[in-house]
Amino acid sequence: MSARAGLALAIVVAALAVPLVAGQHLLTAFIVALHAAYLALAWNIAAGYAGQFSLGHSLFYGVGAYASTVLYVRAGLTPWAGMFAGAVLAGVIGVALALGVYRYNVRGIFFALVTLGAAEVGRGLVENWDFVKGPAGILLTMQSAPRDFLFLRREPYYYVALAMVLALIAISLGLERSRLGQYFLAVREDEAAAEASGVDTYRAKTIAIGLSAALTAFAGSFYAQFYLYISPDTVLVFEPQLTMMLGTMVGGAGTALGPVLGSVLFSGLGEALRNLPFENTRQVVIGSKLAYAILLIVILIYLPGGLITLGRRRART
Amino acid sequence: MSALLGVHNVSKRFGGLQALSDVTFGVGYREIVGIIGPNGAGKTTLFNVITGVFAPDSGHVELRGMDVTGWAPHRICRLGAARTFQIGKPFAALSVLQTVRIGSLNRVRDMRDATAQALHVLEMVGLADKRDHLGRNLTVIERKRLELARALATGPSLLLLDEVAAGLRPAEIQEMIALVRRIAAGGVSVLIIEHVMEAVMRLSARIVVLNYGEVIAEGTPESLVNDPRVIEAYLGEAYSLA
Repeated sequence: MSARAGLALAIVVAALAVPLVAGQHLLTAFIVALHAAYLALAWNIAAGYAGQFSLGHSLFYGVGAYASTVLYVRAGLTPWAGMFAGAVLAGVIGVALALGVYRYNVRGIFFALVTLGAAEVGRGLVENWDFVKGPAGILLTMQSAPRDFLFLRREPYYYVALAMVLALIAISLGLERSRLGQYFLAVREDEAAAEASGVDTYRAKTIAIGLSAALTAFAGSFYAQFYLYISPDTVLVFEPQLTMMLGTMVGGAGTALGPVLGSVLFSGLGEALRNLPFENTRQVVIGSKLAYAILLIVILIYLPGGLITLGRRRART
Repeated sequence: MSALLGVHNVSKRFGGLQALSDVTFGVGYREIVGIIGPNGAGKTTLFNVITGVFAPDSGHVELRGMDVTGWAPHRICRLGAARTFQIGKPFAALSVLQTVRIGSLNRVRDMRDATAQALHVLEMVGLADKRDHLGRNLTVIERKRLELARALATGPSLLLLDEVAAGLRPAEIQEMIALVRRIAAGGVSVLIIEHVMEAVMRLSARIVVLNYGEVIAEGTPESLVNDPRVIEAYLGEAYSLA
């Protein structure tokens, strides 16, 4: 076994053992970190590998949250299955959006703006749709119902979040080693050169958005089951998008571990700042935002490839 | 005549500029054809039309007996025409091997086989020892070779080379000429745009001369260097093959 595989195994074992030593409060912090890491990994598939800088991923997050929750509340479908329905729906919406947007050669900053607009449209629709309770949102009952993805303790949520992150790391690594993944990279680097090399860029970009959207939706369903409340103001806002971008850019876009590293660091930082002796919540919020901003600027200036490049630099010398 | 490439009466206009007008010529199997002409004569536009970057306003392009007018570039690449870019477009953040392997995946579906084929192509163009270097760290000649390697890796029947010798030192030009000859000897037809006269004159069996988007002459290198139209439009002075 190589040193790398050994390290990976040690980290996984340590992660599995966390609930044995961590209290409920610390465990919540870990769940938040894993959730952020999952979101970053899902966005990274489109933005990091394929270079499609979507700002509308909150839409897919919201679709996931609403699909599984509405199916559960209205039709009694267990969210364990509902989350897959949400993923399919988000994937279809992502593909439809991509087919339209790429058909007209919308790229770069314009692509980012169109996706941002699409997310706003989604939010507007949900806010005005009584069937999904509009701006009031949907509340789930706190209860122990493992079959319906509801638990009273934190441990099950922790293991689900961990499994999701591990699965997405595996998907990312598999993608890196696949033809499709290589096509994503070619599209990111230079679309004209990719086309000239036989890559169907329209198809590759559409698959990247569809796949990333479907994976993002699972996180939305998880959010709903964990916090037991969703509304346009919680899941169809820019916040999850920010989480995805911070973790990915800080950790290292276009890598399978960078987004995890960045997300865990940011979540940890947020948790640490919360425990600083500030006088009131307002100061905590301002203080942590300031610290985030400074850290982000420092990393983007001195480590444009993200924290993950630190390890690589050492390996090369 | 069953030509590999047939360009028939192709015209292309950009606003007020007639970039190509009524261009007709062909490339046969196992043939090296040169395209020369002054700057702005429409050479690169012609490449862009052949490889599907632009659809022509009129006329059509045939490749391996199929009408490919208006096809997307990746489909034309799949059918068997690959090109290099005049201004190299390396995949800046990818390694040389990764870049060429993306070309290989055009014909070879399995990643491992594609890697093996890419290594073979890198060996051929003399980039094997740079396989782990990133595209952005390559020198000018290395970029030219990488362009060539990526195009070659797609397994083309027709290779379109856009000024692969420009900007190279004399010794490097000789290497490039030898390399193109080796590729052609392997059964690939080559259509070459070149400003370095030595390269195009020595390589091409036949040369097409473009000026203001029109074909003004076509023939063997020997016949063209004495053609007054060509001399006037392009060479400016008699060019000797010696």
